[in-house]
Amino acid sequence: MKNYPIWKSFTVISLVLLGIIFAIPSIIYDENSENWFLKNKINLGLDLQGGSYLLLEVQLDVLYKEELDNFVDSVRLISRDQAVKIEKIDIQENEVVVFFTNKEKIKDIRDSFFQMYRGVSLQISNNRLSIKLNDEYRKIIQDSAIKQSLEIVRKRIDESGTKEPLIQRSGKKRILLQLPGVKDPERIKDLLGKTAKLTFHIVDNENTSALQNNLAPFGKIIVPDMYDENTKYLLDKRAVVGGENLVDAKGSFDQTEGHAVSFRFDTEGAQKFGKVTTNNIGKNLAVVLDGVVITAPRINSAITGGSGIITGNFNAQEASDLAVLLRAGALPAPLEIVEERSVGAGLGADSIAAGQIAAIIGMVLVCIFMILIYGTFGALANVSLIVNLFIIISLLGTIGATLTLPGIAGIVLTIGMAVDANVLIFERIKEESLKQTKVFQIVKNGFDRAMSTILDANITTLIAAVLLFAFGSGPIRGFSITLSLGVIASMFTALMLTNFLVYMYLSFANKKELKL
Amino acid sequence: MFGLNKIIPVEPNINFLGLRRNFLIFSILAMLISIVLLSIKGLNLGIDFKGGTLIEVSTKNTSIGELREILSSSYSDVSLQEFGNENIILIRLQNRSNQESIETVNSVKNLIQDKVVEFRRSEFVGPTISSELLFRGFQAVSFALIAILIYIWLRFEWQFGFGAVVALTHDVLFTLGLLSILNVEFSLATIAAILTIAGYSINDTVVIFDRVRENLRKYKKLELVDLFNLSVNNTLSRTIMTSLTTLLALVSLFIFGGEVIRPFALTMIIGVIIGTYSSVFIAVPTLLIFKFRPQDEDD
Repeated sequence: MKNYPIWKSFTVISLVLLGIIFAIPSIIYDENSENWFLKNKINLGLDLQGGSYLLLEVQLDVLYKEELDNFVDSVRLISRDQAVKIEKIDIQENEVVVFFTNKEKIKDIRDSFFQMYRGVSLQISNNRLSIKLNDEYRKIIQDSAIKQSLEIVRKRIDESGTKEPLIQRSGKKRILLQLPGVKDPERIKDLLGKTAKLTFHIVDNENTSALQNNLAPFGKIIVPDMYDENTKYLLDKRAVVGGENLVDAKGSFDQTEGHAVSFRFDTEGAQKFGKVTTNNIGKNLAVVLDGVVITAPRINSAITGGSGIITGNFNAQEASDLAVLLRAGALPAPLEIVEERSVGAGLGADSIAAGQIAAIIGMVLVCIFMILIYGTFGALANVSLIVNLFIIISLLGTIGATLTLPGIAGIVLTIGMAVDANVLIFERIKEESLKQTKVFQIVKNGFDRAMSTILDANITTLIAAVLLFAFGSGPIRGFSITLSLGVIASMFTALMLTNFLVYMYLSFANKKELKL
Repeated sequence: MFGLNKIIPVEPNINFLGLRRNFLIFSILAMLISIVLLSIKGLNLGIDFKGGTLIEVSTKNTSIGELREILSSSYSDVSLQEFGNENIILIRLQNRSNQESIETVNSVKNLIQDKVVEFRRSEFVGPTISSELLFRGFQAVSFALIAILIYIWLRFEWQFGFGAVVALTHDVLFTLGLLSILNVEFSLATIAAILTIAGYSINDTVVIFDRVRENLRKYKKLELVDLFNLSVNNTLSRTIMTSLTTLLALVSLFIFGGEVIRPFALTMIIGVIIGTYSSVFIAVPTLLIFKFRPQDEDD
């Protein structure tokens, strides 16, 4: 073996062996293996293993509006304390403008207000106080809302029994979910689509004119029934107690009421609940979930034990889902699904099978073609091509990359493009063989001359692939990963492995002349 | 040693540049037609960029007509299409607000529940997302083109960069035009295909330019047209070989890779053919605009 350093052969052989060994876990593909080695297998993307991808957007506008409403309530309370009359209140998109009948105490009101809401912009002009929701204040609301939402979404998904979910913040106001293996995405969407804000309110049965005119007086709200929109209730705006005081909730079955949700309050909640039920015997207590009354039973006796049940026209699944929602807690703001991609396990399996067939047939065609054109050299290039495939698979497995359907397309494409480097080398060898007769010199020159072209040509493809990764989303990234790995692996196999194989072949066959 | 590579002569001598006017006219026409098509007919945008809902179902004991009847009584904007075989049907619904769309999916599923064996996939892209995806797609393509050009400009003289831009613009436009005529669905995967085509076409161009540069140093006296012809001929068998192996793999993907990946494979096949053509017939002749010689002699 002249002209070929031992260290180089050693490096090539070990890299090839490593490539083949680390491809084994992905080829065997034992899904549940706990073996440290077999765990290094390719992760299948949702489009191949089946599952749901959801992108949720936190409805921050709702929160901003809520905060403006809070401003109004607080200003009213403060001015009542200060005995200042309010002429009118103007609620705009971004600010609340309060007109007072006189301007004497307006500064005191502003100061008291500022004590409660630090960070808002307050401005006085004449008898007018404007309270503005500035960008900083919005950002605080936004960040805490996303943080809370993430936590609640995580709890709800965990409760739903999804294995290995990926839940993360995406951009300013979005949450990204990847739920592998989910069979019923509709149920998950139902679970996420509810804010699940639970509150208990005393019902006002006396003021019937308010309901007739559909105009709630200060401190009251009108809320429709869950099952019948035309039935409305006049409730105290202030909640007696809310979902945040719940410590447990579960679906239960009651002989007379059917499916229900039983719940338990923490100490604070139990105390509040006990006190209110003691003081309001004979009145009705409305259970309000996300702006509708589920039920409004009469308080027959004081409930001091801190637990109770919510009845409604539930079936078993609805009752247990409501319990899940109550246990996980309320979302600070509604979530809207802005993108969904769900793939069933059947389509995923079909895609894998089709991808494998395409890859194998593509491979066989390219191999036959190479042998037809380059003979023995073509066969050597084919060995490189096959090793190339092993290396891509083992790299995907060891770096824990995710293989998607476009990713499979990337691999098949790489099979076609990977021989390019070999072709460039062989064509150079062909040209060199016309100029001189020394076999090893021909090969050496062929490889050397082809080198810079191979680098230039592959780097441009790599640039495209890397940018695709940077700006692409989801499955497209899978494509750019396999394409990049394929390009890198093909440079190695052509410049090192084919090189090694060609030298080996020429040494052992003891070729005296080279005609390609 | 056997091998059919002797079919392509080692030193072919084909006068590619002699025909350059004809090809130039052909390509200019193709680009003009593409521009007209893109502005009048446009592309067949998929839900990634148009927004909307898509449900793929496998059915039994029913026909596409029956399903269409069931659904069109509730939805005027529903469209159905067989996908690969007659038992697999794609249902598409126009875009509507996010909340409505989710409800629509539910009710569509309920309406056809008993005709369906499996809900194979459901996709929904809201209006805000689809416009973001479109924007990001354009961003990716533009940045990739700019980055590739910067690389060419660093590695070669700027004249080569210009030739590459012309060829790339030609490839992208021509491919988009054909996608428009063939009504191939334009999705995120198509963007990936176009970027890969850009990479591939440049790859092809770079190999030939590399040889042009080498020959410029080697043959100081040769006429430019002859020198370019020689360079194209030198690299001809490589150009053909690589395009053929890539096409073999892509055709295999197109035929066996499944229905979902087919538009991607088709786009790539079109692109590889156009990219190979443009490297030889557009990129190289563009270099004739420049006078390389005086500079060379200055060196």
